[in-house]
Amino acid sequence: MTPVSYDIELTNVCKSYPLGKSRIPIFDDLTMSIPDGDFLAIMGPSGSGKSTILNLIGGIDTVDKGHVSIGGTMLDKMSTRALTRWRSEVIGFVFQFYNLMPMLSAAQNVELPLLLTDLSASERRERVHTILDIVGLSDRHDHLPSLLSGGQQQRVGIARAIASDPRILLCDEPTGDLDRKSADEILDLLQLLNTKLGKTIIMVTHDESSTRVAKRTVFLDKGRFVSEEIAQCA
Amino acid sequence: MFGFLRQSLALSTANLRSLPRRAWISLSMVLSVTLVVLVLLGFLAMANGFRKTLSSTGADNVALVLSRGAFSEALSRIETQQAHLVEEAPGLVRTDDGTPLISRELVVPVDAVALDSNKNETLSLRGIDQTGLTLRPRVQISDGRMMTPGTAEIVVGARLASRYRNLAVGDTITFGRSQWTVVGHFTAGGSVFESELLADAGLVQAQFNRPNQIQSLRVQLSDAARFEQFRAYVEDELDMGLAAQTEKAFYAAQASDISRIILFLGWPLAIVMAFGAAVGAMTTMYSSVSDRMIEIATVRALGFSRSAAFVATLVEALVLTLIGCAIGVALAWIGLDGWSASTKGGANAQLAFQLALSWPQAVSAVVLALAIGAVGGGLPALRATRVPLRAAMTGRA
Repeated sequence: MTPVSYDIELTNVCKSYPLGKSRIPIFDDLTMSIPDGDFLAIMGPSGSGKSTILNLIGGIDTVDKGHVSIGGTMLDKMSTRALTRWRSEVIGFVFQFYNLMPMLSAAQNVELPLLLTDLSASERRERVHTILDIVGLSDRHDHLPSLLSGGQQQRVGIARAIASDPRILLCDEPTGDLDRKSADEILDLLQLLNTKLGKTIIMVTHDESSTRVAKRTVFLDKGRFVSEEIAQCA
Repeated sequence: MFGFLRQSLALSTANLRSLPRRAWISLSMVLSVTLVVLVLLGFLAMANGFRKTLSSTGADNVALVLSRGAFSEALSRIETQQAHLVEEAPGLVRTDDGTPLISRELVVPVDAVALDSNKNETLSLRGIDQTGLTLRPRVQISDGRMMTPGTAEIVVGARLASRYRNLAVGDTITFGRSQWTVVGHFTAGGSVFESELLADAGLVQAQFNRPNQIQSLRVQLSDAARFEQFRAYVEDELDMGLAAQTEKAFYAAQASDISRIILFLGWPLAIVMAFGAAVGAMTTMYSSVSDRMIEIATVRALGFSRSAAFVATLVEALVLTLIGCAIGVALAWIGLDGWSASTKGGANAQLAFQLALSWPQAVSAVVLALAIGAVGGGLPALRATRVPLRAAMTGRA
């Protein structure tokens, strides 16, 4: 059986947001490709459309015109229900502010996406244990997020994002709320997920030093790519 | 299906665990439901208690004769001649010498001073024949002794004895210009008779200047099945403007009328309050959705369904209203059940009864609370399904 390739294609994408009676354009005829297994960093000033790209690829926002295709699946043709299911199988999200459920333990947070699978309770427990081990939090299973440091919370966020083994990780400023040391640890972890597990990672960041782990970095301004850097040792 | 249940359960659990974050507004929702339930159960317990008191009064084999058209004894007038003719009716229990067991009775409103309010209230002083006690087999002397016929002595119903001044055994009390001695207290199985004072009918007629006045006749039938024959004789054969009904039917009708009035007031008031509580619940739940917006958007982004978000919000609303309901039912049971109350009965006299709660009433309260939860939680639950997923990217959890 040929493994499915999850290449990402944005073709002639137009996107705008309403502001009162008018609309603020974000993209006008944006086209881009992200090959399966890439680690792409997107940089640019606020309002340049970085997060919108993540939203469109993650299927949590829709294009006005154009197409978003991932592994041959046209997101703009899918029903809400189908898109929700697809997202749970293909996409993992890592948020700037972690977005953990504060009343659930680290393990319960990581288990959330697994509730959408057919795994039994014991299989879920085992998977959670393994993943928390991968992110270096095997001794923090039962800790509430409020008892964890920012870096540890983001590790839980990453563990949750990879729990259901998605092919694509969308990271929105994953180190934006962390000190340098924690940020480096998180970046190393993301790089590991890309190189060892083959996850496609798209990371939006303001921090230029964060791009060291990416294979490619693109700069976005006013909805257009203005430059691209390819890491030498990628 | 199991996936949906698992999602709903996980989100509902997370919602409920996050309640301490919204403690005060959630508490206000719980308390507003508690208040609605208390008011509703107060009215229901009142109606039920009143109905119980009256329905425990009267027997099927005792007939009550009033003048036609009178729905209470106070409005009835029976002439002595009419009473004599009723004595000839078929189906009556008679003594060895052929005397029928009939009690000629009249009820006179008298004033007594309530101990709690220190104000005059109107009580019923019932004049009865000697046979009147035979016709009330549940009347038992609980303190003192029975009155002696032909003397100005009274016995006092248990529900009144401790609530009015000068009604202790041995006390004398003045009604109008006449003085009476309290010689005993009686119980009557919780029936309405416990709200009356009993005295000799002849003395009551004499002391209150109502010579030969009779308001009702109580008649002992040999069998409840003979009532129809008795009624036909009194109403059709005699055709003297009298009407007969069983004692039980008479009190049941009174219970039904007054219970209906209580419920007629109680339900609308409870529903208006429930409407207010539902609006309050809606505000609380909108606030809850707003508070959890990032969490909802996050789990939706992870792949949780809209319906799971809907159910979780609705479950939170229903759980809060059920907690409020449970507190309301518990408080009502502790504070209201068995609580003594009184209202105006026939001749504007005080009729004492005990509030009585029952399980069907508690179920009514639960249904009302669930309705508040469903109405108050429904629209916010819909909003939860429409939380923009972009919120997950922008907010701080």
